[in-house]
Amino acid sequence: MATETLATGLTRRMLFLAIAAGFASAAVVSPANASDDGEDAVTLIERLTGKTPTESDRLHLVMPRTFPNGYTVPLGVDIDSPMTENDHVRYVRVVAPRNPLIEVATFHFIPQHSQPRVLTRIRLAKPQYVLAFAEQNDGTLLMTKTWVEVATDGCA
Amino acid sequence: MITPMPRVQLPSSVTKGEIFQVKALISHRMETGLRHDDEGNVIPRKIIHKFVCRYNGIDVFVADLHEAIAANPYLEFYLRATESGQLEFVWQEDGGGVYSLAHQLVVA
Repeated sequence: MATETLATGLTRRMLFLAIAAGFASAAVVSPANASDDGEDAVTLIERLTGKTPTESDRLHLVMPRTFPNGYTVPLGVDIDSPMTENDHVRYVRVVAPRNPLIEVATFHFIPQHSQPRVLTRIRLAKPQYVLAFAEQNDGTLLMTKTWVEVATDGCA
Repeated sequence: MITPMPRVQLPSSVTKGEIFQVKALISHRMETGLRHDDEGNVIPRKIIHKFVCRYNGIDVFVADLHEAIAANPYLEFYLRATESGQLEFVWQEDGGGVYSLAHQLVVA
């Protein structure tokens, strides 16, 4: 708990200094998981995995463009992949960078047994680009993102 | 606390080699640890953090779930029918709770 208070104290002081220095955008100092608003998708994925993803239209992240509530937003993810031993997807990971806790889920698949296709429902705190990235068996990362405009904060 | 109720829906019969759909649902608040009660205390985090589908002993589909998954987590996924046998569905909760369902799959 002591560390938590310290971090918050530092955050407020840093914010105050940033505003006092006349910067237009106050960078939100975030705990381990939350994402800086200015960080872009590729940089975020690099930070999470240590690898650089490639934007790919083989990876589909299907979500409604607008949705009335942030508590149960439908999400569908699927990848074009033969799912053979030599060419398959190991996992798909979804993050919501503008949520207080950005991790959504990681789905793991096995070649010849499961399809790289999942549907679920998630919580979104505010309108944002939801990110999905997939690791293939050769270690490469594919990524995609989709804009979702939610009308209410599903994380509150 | 209400006991989480798991439910699974899948086809009654499948042909060998075909892809079939599985729908899994469990009633669960998925408490994020971000909410406060009326006195201002933080309601502690308690979520289903893992779902495993085991097909004749092989973990064919595994989902690591986090706080951003909606309450009453719903998962729809697709498996290949390889052989007849047992499908086991396991939900793991923070704190060690485990909920599971088993289903005998007949593959023609």
